Amino acid sequence: MLAPAVGTTLLLFGGALAGAVEQSFTPPLGGGLETWTLESWRQVLGDPVFVDAFWFSLRTTLVATLVSAGLALLIATLMRTRSAAMRTAVAFPVPVPHLIVAVVAVLWLAPGGLADRVLGTLPLNLVRDQLGLGVVLVYVFKETPFLVLLLLAVMGRRLEEQEEMAAVHGIGRWGRLRWVIWPAVRAPLLIGSMIVAAFVFSAFEVPLAVGPNYPPSLGTYALEVTKSDAIGGAGQAAAALLLGAVASIAFALAILGLFKARREPDER
Amino acid sequence: MVVGPSGAGKTTLLRAISGLETLDSGRIDLGGRRIDRLPAHKRRCAVVFQEPRLLNHLDLLDNVGISLLARGVPRKDRRSRAAELIDQVGLGELAGRGVKGLSGGEQQRVALARALCAEPDLLLLDEPLSAVDPNRRASLMELILELQSDRQVTTVSVTHDRAEAAEMGQHIALLIDGKVLQSAEPAVLFERPETERAARFFGMNVISGKVGGGHLRLEGCEFPVSGPDGEAVFSIRPESVLLRSGAGPEMTVVESVYLGSHVRLRLRAGQTEIESHVRPGEAPASGEKVRVCLPESGLWRIPEP
Repeated sequence: MLAPAVGTTLLLFGGALAGAVEQSFTPPLGGGLETWTLESWRQVLGDPVFVDAFWFSLRTTLVATLVSAGLALLIATLMRTRSAAMRTAVAFPVPVPHLIVAVVAVLWLAPGGLADRVLGTLPLNLVRDQLGLGVVLVYVFKETPFLVLLLLAVMGRRLEEQEEMAAVHGIGRWGRLRWVIWPAVRAPLLIGSMIVAAFVFSAFEVPLAVGPNYPPSLGTYALEVTKSDAIGGAGQAAAALLLGAVASIAFALAILGLFKARREPDER
Repeated sequence: MVVGPSGAGKTTLLRAISGLETLDSGRIDLGGRRIDRLPAHKRRCAVVFQEPRLLNHLDLLDNVGISLLARGVPRKDRRSRAAELIDQVGLGELAGRGVKGLSGGEQQRVALARALCAEPDLLLLDEPLSAVDPNRRASLMELILELQSDRQVTTVSVTHDRAEAAEMGQHIALLIDGKVLQSAEPAVLFERPETERAARFFGMNVISGKVGGGHLRLEGCEFPVSGPDGEAVFSIRPESVLLRSGAGPEMTVVESVYLGSHVRLRLRAGQTEIESHVRPGEAPASGEKVRVCLPESGLWRIPEP
């Protein structure tokens, strides 16, 4: 039953990953894997721009993911008893492509943009700012509803009934949040946050549209090296993105480990 | 014990008492204190719901001791107290395991232990036997009655099953359409209902006719009765309706259904229909004509409204 989904995933993502690995070890002037070289990896790891891009991506990813997760938990808790229409309205940004949101953000938030004209000069410069606030803002706008949807899926009637059970056994609002709601939502929240983090860490269209000129994100770094170095750029881009993928996987494993180690002692 | 048909408002009543529903009007007092303005967790009313509502991420001991968690009782004490209660509900050997794999009856026992662990001022049971295998109902009912009697905890239980109500309740309130129609001891409700609806709910025959000259005259037959002349409504339990040869009006058996412990007969004469329960060996076949006797001891004249 799972074969079609697994097959598609392996073909699309596994194939792309294998292609990137091959590209990163291919000599800049051509040749097969029998003449493989670490040149692209050496160049990327020795490039201070890559290091800056890595930290910029990591920082914006962490901030965007944590803010989205916190907001999603709050919104889902408030929305779970609301009407289906209101819950659908919250999910509105999910199908809108990231690039469109980024373009709208530029139109509205760039210096001299629509927001400046309507509201006067904005106190913060959110487009092309050094800290990447615009990037974070776009991802929070896009990813929070996605996480809200995941959380609302587990906050059904069953959870409501369990909360009622806890209430009639003397457990107050915070206790119910801690012992009933949190254990039910933490797994989908964690998995959803990991998906969001992996996506944000390697995405390039939003940083390209609203991110600072420097540092680039990992995605925009890969794009730039491909454009600036016609001979070895593709190998370096592949190496940079593979490092990003390895970092994402390592980060996800570390979070999972931490999550297991820090399980509420009262729940064991 | 509150008994009534589906949709009568039984569960709503329990939810209102426990604080899960807000009152539109009126007040609720418990042991001299007004509780209707308190949130559910401060009312000290524990509920055993129709479905056990156990938390899958906790083992049985932590499920039972969940009320102690809120009170900040240390884990060791909490689990030890929970273990005592798990033992009392007959699941001692399962104490350390998780919720998965427990039968409906076992889960409901855990829910009962959880409610008792909260040491409530009032224990509310919302059809606690409805999700339990019929063969295990009797033992769970026995356990509930035993624990309730040992602990002397005031209990309000609701059910749609009149037999269960009679077995469990010392006092029964009949709730229909959100109103208490009658409230009394089980025997009174089952034999001396105050209204036709109450009589029908408790499974009695309701017979309307005219009393005159010591007889209740019905369409197609008449039965000897005492009491003043005039229009009257009588009720009689199907078990009290006797079939015998000799005297008494003749009725035809139009339906005969074997139910294990007894046979249910539907008897007809003209427009008058009466239900009778007889022992399996004594049941006439469908279509047979029988003489019917309604003994005065079982016949109850429903008071005029």
